[in-house]
Amino acid sequence: MLDTAVDLHATSADIPVSPREEDHALVRAAGGGDVRAFEQLYRKHSRRVFAVLWRLCGHEARAEDLVQEAFVRAWQALPGFRFESAFSTWLHRLAVNTALMELRARSGGEALEIDDAALDAHATPDSAGQRTALRVDLERAIATLPPRARAVLVLYDIEGWKHEEIAAELGMAVGSSKAQLHRARQLLRTRLGEDDERD
Amino acid sequence: MSGTELRWQLRQLPREIDPPHDLWPGIAARLRPARKGRAWFAGLAVAASLCLAVGVAWQQGPAPASDPQAELVRREAQALTREYQAALGQFEGAPLPAAIQPALATLDRSVAEIRQALDSDPGARFLLDQLRRTYSRRLSLTQRAVTG
Repeated sequence: MLDTAVDLHATSADIPVSPREEDHALVRAAGGGDVRAFEQLYRKHSRRVFAVLWRLCGHEARAEDLVQEAFVRAWQALPGFRFESAFSTWLHRLAVNTALMELRARSGGEALEIDDAALDAHATPDSAGQRTALRVDLERAIATLPPRARAVLVLYDIEGWKHEEIAAELGMAVGSSKAQLHRARQLLRTRLGEDDERD
Repeated sequence: MSGTELRWQLRQLPREIDPPHDLWPGIAARLRPARKGRAWFAGLAVAASLCLAVGVAWQQGPAPASDPQAELVRREAQALTREYQAALGQFEGAPLPAAIQPALATLDRSVAEIRQALDSDPGARFLLDQLRRTYSRRLSLTQRAVTG
């Protein structure tokens, strides 16, 4: 009689758990106030979040602040997580939104700026091979783009967002998103060409 | 660099980068220690605490009835069932995959059999433990199926 339940329990315990299920279990625990479960989520996802925030804001120290802000906001928003999407997708959106909040608040005039501070921060020479050198040059060039153009390029060309999504997130028209992307790519090619000529 | 090559290079950039510092201590310091959980989670917590209470009451509580052991088991089984039904009620109306229906039905049959056995042998504490474990499995399976 009671053996049935025991056998079934043993069978269910053998079912492999997907990363998504693992995350959802941690989210359920963290949503109930389990800080250790939330720390595990941080350990699993902080590198991904840092990468996108670092590229969006162009400054390492500022990216660190934004990562912390994003995870605090995620903790506060966990009770609203509906388990319909992967936690990583939800967190990624929340983190990007955190980074874009200040960008949305900026005036349009700043869109023409070239970020000299970011240029300095990324100017570390690299000697680990041509591919790595190219990647570093590319990262450095991205960081020097004007903020809005940089955001559109990062989200479209690196993160794979659609123009409609970017436009909604940045509070701009779809046509403006496309124009910013075109401008960002041209600036990048110019920037990388300048580096080639200097080398 | 051509436009195509540039886009390809952008796609090859690493998706993950290690932050230069461990940012967790700064995050942990800003988290509030106590937050209200989801309704079903609270239900599970109540059920779990009840199960603990069952064990404590069993070990410590002298019962006033003529058959105190049987009376205690009966009351605890009733309380356990009420809490289980309340926790399960949080999932009412949620779509459940057809694939897990046989497993749920098996667990429900086990519950019915355990409760019948308790009626026949009301002093059997191991049956109370069986009932608690089966309720927990039923809730856990339902929860995983609903939340994906």
